[in-house]
Amino acid sequence: MPSLPFLRRCSRVAPLAALLGLAGCDMLEFSPNDHRVPEEFTNLTQKNLAKLQAKPLPAGDTLRFVFTGDSQQFYDEAEALVASVNQQPGISFLVVAGDISDFGLGREMRWVDEKLRRLYMPYVTVVGNHDLVGNGREAYQHIFGALDYSFVYGETKFTMVDTNGREYNFNGQVPNLGWLRPQLASLDGARRQVVISHVPPTNEDFDPALRAPYVQSLREARGLVFKMNGHNHSSSISQPFNDGVTYVNSDAFSERHYMVVTVWGDKQFRIKRVAF
Amino acid sequence: MKTYLLSAFLLAALGAQAAGPPDTAAARRPPVEHPWYRPSHLVLQTGGGLGMVAGGAGYEFAKDRLETDVLIGYVPKRYAGSTLSLASLKFMYSPFRLRVTEQVQVLPITVGAYFSYTHGTVNDEIKGQYSSDYYWFSTDTRYGPLVGGRVTYLTAPVPATGLPRKVSFYYELGSNDLYLASYLNNRNGGLGIGQLLTLALGVKADF
Repeated sequence: MPSLPFLRRCSRVAPLAALLGLAGCDMLEFSPNDHRVPEEFTNLTQKNLAKLQAKPLPAGDTLRFVFTGDSQQFYDEAEALVASVNQQPGISFLVVAGDISDFGLGREMRWVDEKLRRLYMPYVTVVGNHDLVGNGREAYQHIFGALDYSFVYGETKFTMVDTNGREYNFNGQVPNLGWLRPQLASLDGARRQVVISHVPPTNEDFDPALRAPYVQSLREARGLVFKMNGHNHSSSISQPFNDGVTYVNSDAFSERHYMVVTVWGDKQFRIKRVAF
Repeated sequence: MKTYLLSAFLLAALGAQAAGPPDTAAARRPPVEHPWYRPSHLVLQTGGGLGMVAGGAGYEFAKDRLETDVLIGYVPKRYAGSTLSLASLKFMYSPFRLRVTEQVQVLPITVGAYFSYTHGTVNDEIKGQYSSDYYWFSTDTRYGPLVGGRVTYLTAPVPATGLPRKVSFYYELGSNDLYLASYLNNRNGGLGIGQLLTLALGVKADF
């Protein structure tokens, strides 16, 4: 029987298989939902943050990052985007605002990483609704990492939060306000903060029961520069709730535009939209 | 639409197969007349998107050039995030049979298609979760092409029939509708064919 003994032996013969161009272990897929990938494609968020922290921004320097979203199925565009972003000077990192994959499959997430790892700078992601279909929630956590997380870089605290309420049947838990509120309340030593998620609270895919408390939490967040989202496949900078909070929406990869975002001071920012 | 067409094709093929016992099989095995529904072989395979382990049975017709296999597959939670069970249907056509020795035959090319249904996904599109066409694809239903080959060993003739039993080892390269869609939507080489492929390895034995 070729099944179990073969699989156990597989890891040992992998170099040989790779040498033969078979890459048999990679290809021996148990299901499209099978999220096994080589170790280099796991825990990408943690690995990218480690790369980012290895190059700290001098205190007082302006912070510059690229903001984009919705890479789903746009592999040709991903190549062009990487080539373009690599020409930009002074970029610390790139953010993909969710929908890394289209079908929530591990193989897609790996395909996107194979493009984005060619960036000269690290990138981070927040989970999107397409990343949560089927068994995507598990694949995303295995390949990228936490669904909700935060980090500090360049005197700015970034809080990445899962807002894809519809994928959880609007269970009242997503976004997780119990986790988010203390994150917003503490800047962890940073001067200002940015919150990034996929589904904007203006969208019908946001849990309607949590919209008001979520928007209120953002309004009360100290030093909030802006709230960033993806999902719409269309860029915008606006204050939809007229409460002083700026919402920035990313282009999708398919729009062949990204934003170069510069942040300085208490909450000053400048956003330049770049075509590629 | 494509799903419906394929399903119709699969059902039609099953129906055609079910409607009449293959004459050739009857002619070849006069001493033991098997009922039409008795499968001709058992199958065990790994990979191909149909399970870490998938087992089942199959039928052969048109002088063993056409086959239908029905498989039940299993994927443990640690590899997919939840325990998955898959029900699959495969259709294969093997036009050539090369005799290497008395006991060994090689089927250099098998082409076919499969259809699979996955049970046990984490986020399983409950009723009312999405408006219609929110996602254009199904998370549970997959179909795709496969191409492979096999080596067949013939055992000593069975006394009851005077015919040898076959034991075959096969490989199959396949893909699925979602991987192919991703490829077709990137015409400037964003994805390579090799990135779409899955491998299945298996064994079939007459019984």
